[in-house]
Amino acid sequence: MHIPDGILPAAVCLGGYATTGAATWYSLRKINQQENPREGIPKASLLTAAFFVASWIHIPVPPTSVHLVLNGLLGAVLGYYAFPAILIGLFFQAVMFQHGGLTTLGVNAAMMGLPALVAYHLFRLRRALGKDSRAWTGLFGFLAGAGGLGISVLISLALLITTIPAHLDVETERASIYAMSLAHVPLMALEGVFTALVVLFLQRVKPELLEGGSPLSPFPPTLGGQGGG
Amino acid sequence: MNLQLDEYSHLDSPLHRWEPRCRLIALVALMFAFSFVRDLRLLPAMLVVTATIYAVSRLPLSFLLARLRAPGFFFLMVAVLLPFLSGRTVLLRIGPLALREEGCLALLLIAVKFVSILTTGIVLFGTVPFVITIKAMRGLGLPTILTDMTLFSYRYIHEIGDDLETMETAMGLRGFRGRHPGSLGVLASLAGSILVRSYEQSERVYKAMILRGYGNRPTRPADDFQTLPGDVVALSAVLLIAAGFIAAEIILRQCGG
Repeated sequence: MHIPDGILPAAVCLGGYATTGAATWYSLRKINQQENPREGIPKASLLTAAFFVASWIHIPVPPTSVHLVLNGLLGAVLGYYAFPAILIGLFFQAVMFQHGGLTTLGVNAAMMGLPALVAYHLFRLRRALGKDSRAWTGLFGFLAGAGGLGISVLISLALLITTIPAHLDVETERASIYAMSLAHVPLMALEGVFTALVVLFLQRVKPELLEGGSPLSPFPPTLGGQGGG
Repeated sequence: MNLQLDEYSHLDSPLHRWEPRCRLIALVALMFAFSFVRDLRLLPAMLVVTATIYAVSRLPLSFLLARLRAPGFFFLMVAVLLPFLSGRTVLLRIGPLALREEGCLALLLIAVKFVSILTTGIVLFGTVPFVITIKAMRGLGLPTILTDMTLFSYRYIHEIGDDLETMETAMGLRGFRGRHPGSLGVLASLAGSILVRSYEQSERVYKAMILRGYGNRPTRPADDFQTLPGDVVALSAVLLIAAGFIAAEIILRQCGG
């Protein structure tokens, strides 16, 4: 899922950076609209680190195991912080583990981050529709997780198939797009189920993490006097 | 898990001493120039430049090799598919498979660019403490929210990683093996617990930071970098090399049609 250095042409890399720049600018603008934008930073940063760590968890898919992308979950929990969080997470992966790459960071961040923002809005729909029960939260969590990964997969396949091979014929191209999309359907389902389970866990244990779908609200225990902590 | 990307930042070399902002601009420009190259005739020059930079940086070769080993899977997939799927000129037939010339050349191009860009990136982040590189990015105008978030996350990744390890050990000791799909719920709770714990920790961190005056600085602190003439000369030289690659690529593309 992470496109490494050297594969994409420079124009696509720069286009990725332009897209990521625009999306980051938009996200930061939304974040800066809060009264005190610095307040959310520690919370978003620690959650960024936590998501980074959580993506190391092996999910058993017999006979092997996979790592999840979690970009849908990131969107659902972090809201507009999800885009910078993904950008930073991918940056760490590129410099620490050489997963992805620095020239392709823009492309990868756009590929994972834009679907996360879609997932955020999808997950928030449940509030707009007034469906707040556990079943609905689980369902929207599933949609956010599966949708987040699904859109990422489509973007990455489209990018790879249209840019890499010099002389692939149309038939092979179309067949490989279908085959690879189909191969990702079970992963989407897995990502969706996992996201739904985590969201339900959070709703039970720490509902404020899901409030408004983002950590933008100030800390309720100190400011709202709701106790706890 | 080895997260140490700046374990050799204490060494002394011209690259270590280079002013961080200049180095950042120079090496990033070089990486993009590399990614622009599509003509195979430029590959030897690319390898020479990369090797020179790595030699000057005095980073041990084992450090590079350990890092090049990691990104395997994706690359392997491309390496296996391209020579057989892409192109028309058949070099060799192995049963139903045909090894094609265009695919092999495409693979060669990708492999050399990949190694060159990655090596340059490793030099960029391996020759100076990570925090300094981030400060250099802030000095070059990256938004404060991004640099603050990067530094915070970096600070806590190790701690949260240790938390995860402890929790996984605890689960293992209680008999959890996590090998069948039914364990998904438990793993989701594990991920959720990681999120909740770090969220709660962030509240304490934030309060501690407020007590120490976080957020009250009206402006950024003055730049802690000092640019010497030598830094600028090195920057210009590397930028020239990068521009040379781009110019050569354009010229070759026009000549070659």
